[in-house]
Amino acid sequence: MNRRTGLRLAALLGLVAVAAVVAALGASTGSSRPLAGTHATASNVIIDGTTGTVVNIDPANQYDYDSFTLDLPLFQGLYGFPHGAKLQPVLATGCKASANLETWTCGLRHNVKFSDGTPMTSADVKWSFDRVLKIKGDQGIWTLLSNLKSTTVKGPYTVVFHLKAPDSIWPYILSTNAGYVVPKAKYPFNKILSNTDPQVGTGPYRLVKFTPGQQAVLEPNPYYWGQKPKNGGIIINYYSKSSTMKLALEKGEIDMAFQSFTPQDLTSLHKEKGIVVHSGHGVVIRYLVFNVVRPPFNNLAVRQAIAYLMPRQDIATRIYHGTVEPLYSMVPAGLPGHIDAYKTMYGASPNVAKAKAVLAKAGVKTPLPITIWWTPSHYGDASADEYAEIQRSLDASGLFKVTLKSAEWAQYSGALGKTYGAFQLGWFPDYPDADDYTVSFYQPNAFYNNGYNDPKMTKLIAKERAARTNGARMAALRAMQTLAAKDLPTIPYWQGNMIAVSHSNIQGINSTLDAAYYMRFWLLSKS
Amino acid sequence: MPGTSLRTYLLTRLALVLPMVLILLTMVFLLLRVAPGNPIEAALGGHVPAAYVHQITHRLGFDKPLYQQYGDYLWDILRGNFGTTITDNRPLTQIITVNGAATLELTFFAMLVAVVVGVLVGLVAGRYRDTPLDVFGRLFGIVVYATPVFFLGLMAQLVFGVWLNWLPTSDQASPLTQALLKTHTNIFVVDAIIDGNWSALKDIFEHLALPAATLGLTTAGIFIRLIRVNVIRTLRDDYIEAARARGIVERSVVFHHAFKNALVPVITVVGLNMALLLGGAVLTETTFNWPGIGHALVTYLENRDYTAVQGIIVVFALVVVAISVLVDFINAYVDPRIRY
Repeated sequence: MNRRTGLRLAALLGLVAVAAVVAALGASTGSSRPLAGTHATASNVIIDGTTGTVVNIDPANQYDYDSFTLDLPLFQGLYGFPHGAKLQPVLATGCKASANLETWTCGLRHNVKFSDGTPMTSADVKWSFDRVLKIKGDQGIWTLLSNLKSTTVKGPYTVVFHLKAPDSIWPYILSTNAGYVVPKAKYPFNKILSNTDPQVGTGPYRLVKFTPGQQAVLEPNPYYWGQKPKNGGIIINYYSKSSTMKLALEKGEIDMAFQSFTPQDLTSLHKEKGIVVHSGHGVVIRYLVFNVVRPPFNNLAVRQAIAYLMPRQDIATRIYHGTVEPLYSMVPAGLPGHIDAYKTMYGASPNVAKAKAVLAKAGVKTPLPITIWWTPSHYGDASADEYAEIQRSLDASGLFKVTLKSAEWAQYSGALGKTYGAFQLGWFPDYPDADDYTVSFYQPNAFYNNGYNDPKMTKLIAKERAARTNGARMAALRAMQTLAAKDLPTIPYWQGNMIAVSHSNIQGINSTLDAAYYMRFWLLSKS
Repeated sequence: MPGTSLRTYLLTRLALVLPMVLILLTMVFLLLRVAPGNPIEAALGGHVPAAYVHQITHRLGFDKPLYQQYGDYLWDILRGNFGTTITDNRPLTQIITVNGAATLELTFFAMLVAVVVGVLVGLVAGRYRDTPLDVFGRLFGIVVYATPVFFLGLMAQLVFGVWLNWLPTSDQASPLTQALLKTHTNIFVVDAIIDGNWSALKDIFEHLALPAATLGLTTAGIFIRLIRVNVIRTLRDDYIEAARARGIVERSVVFHHAFKNALVPVITVVGLNMALLLGGAVLTETTFNWPGIGHALVTYLENRDYTAVQGIIVVFALVVVAISVLVDFINAYVDPRIRY
């Protein structure tokens, strides 16, 4: 082969390689219908930034808040929180329970259509619930339906849920994404739809474009049965770092940002002209968990001493710059049934004298060396400072010598109570009710493996679940909180506000900041 | 001494790709599983009871013996099934096409910046050796080469994005452009050209400017030094003296005679650096929120997503091999003195 031929061949090879790559890239499975086919214009489309990651859009396998934030405008359940933190029927007109709370009969709203124009009937509802239990998706949302024995229908507008055990909070379960209704014709019974497959729900928006890790584009659902959204569409932009998102907000590339800025970012944004930091009541909590069967935390006196020394106000002020509030119960303030059980028992601020007394009475030699674990990234960048503050408070009392250790989430989440004696966790509710902040933690074999098993608590849980009246349920919940403050399997310490940041031309954000922790995009408008 | 023929060399290189990929896959497979934590615990730990976590882990086969998991994985690969990611249920082919396109776009323009800046500065520095221009060129090359790419990126964002407010600081395009742009190839520049959407193209180039310049400049440092040395060496050659003696103007001597010969070694370096750019792209992509495959790799690694990490690394390996084989081939024909 001579030089000229060789050069030509090299050039040809290069061109073929480029063409092959471009052709292969064109075989993308991404949906590509643009927003331009709607009434959306730059002036009425709201662009939201978030540092979240969407795991699954198909509600049958969706069990994280970032995916939920995207699903909320697209799908609906029989119950929900359309206005504030009060549970209300949404796709249902109401549900009636049998005397033993094991059978729930729900009437469906008539004339509801999916976003593809097809009508919703009881067959779709049954399909949706059966599908979740059939698929048993790896994200675990099906565990919320673990008490569901079967779903039957009576005509096109009545659904009957048959439970395995009495459950007074079943309507709350219906408000979770485990109960989101999808059309039978579009969602396969034994398979999750991928995130780039068309999604169909009854919500105020429909998803027109989803590029994983980059962007979700929503337009108003033309078949929506309820009040139309106050904007022409939503674009959700995904960022890997809050600093990048902050820059984008400051430069006007996005109109608002929800989830999540660091406390330092928020302090800086407060000072910016034309930018508003909106804050409302939140239901995210942070708490310290103890393994109550292994030394040294199997000693109640040790746990009590730490409860007396927990520096809640310092954490809220110095670390989180006022974006969180001290928390004195696993049930956040603002939810019905909340009581400040830990404040009553251990006081509002650290009390070294009482901590010393309780350890002395138990004969515990001080300073007691203890190890506390935390995780660096899963709960935000402030975790390091948060636990440094707890260490400072405990060490300063002279009663403890704290060693802090950390592990990345992937390792941390598998270890928890199996390996660690005292460790950091956070909680985001499946539904904003005190039940989700008590039963999940206090039942035997709770998810964090801390060994807590109090027969009195187990009885209270059963009593709460079988309560026929709200008064009886609230009484059981209060008793659970008091007992938990006495037993100390955990120590809650802060409750986070619901925070969104926007340019001043975005209206309606404050109306959606409440204990339900829903970002109701359809209430937002842009002037 | 006769070398092997180019055809034999190429065939041998191509034949070695399979065992190379197999070894790499095995190492990644083992390293991921040796690291503590697994994707199911990462996704569900802290929220779902341990019994359910075990159930799901069992269903997905992560509690099988390692050799069985390895065999299952290889069998899937052989059947062309690269699987879906565990953490966000994405087909691997989609990550390669969508995120790979973003990385390709970034690395292409970064390489363009690297070559243009590297060649220009190197040429001037070599031509005007031991003058202030040479000193500046060498200093510039050292500084951009030594500066960590993420620091350079942050400074670029601060100066051009914040202080001067000339350019955007993140993403491939503005949110509205991204939402409205029709997807043809996933390479935004190409898609905008196909659609004839010039305002989108302008927006895309504005977003490309800082990340491409950042990544390109750190690579330009290598080219500056190489070109400079080659130009100086070439300008000392006998045929250059002969050209000068024949009365050819200096400019022509430099550009038509010395420069072309000085470029020959650069082709190899460009090709190899194209592969290295993939690594540098990881940090650049994270700094600029660029949705490339490197950025995706970091996220999946943090979540112990075995399927995603294995698949992406195989793609990286194949790209590097393909580029180095192509570079060898081109080199051999540009310079007939090269034989293997």
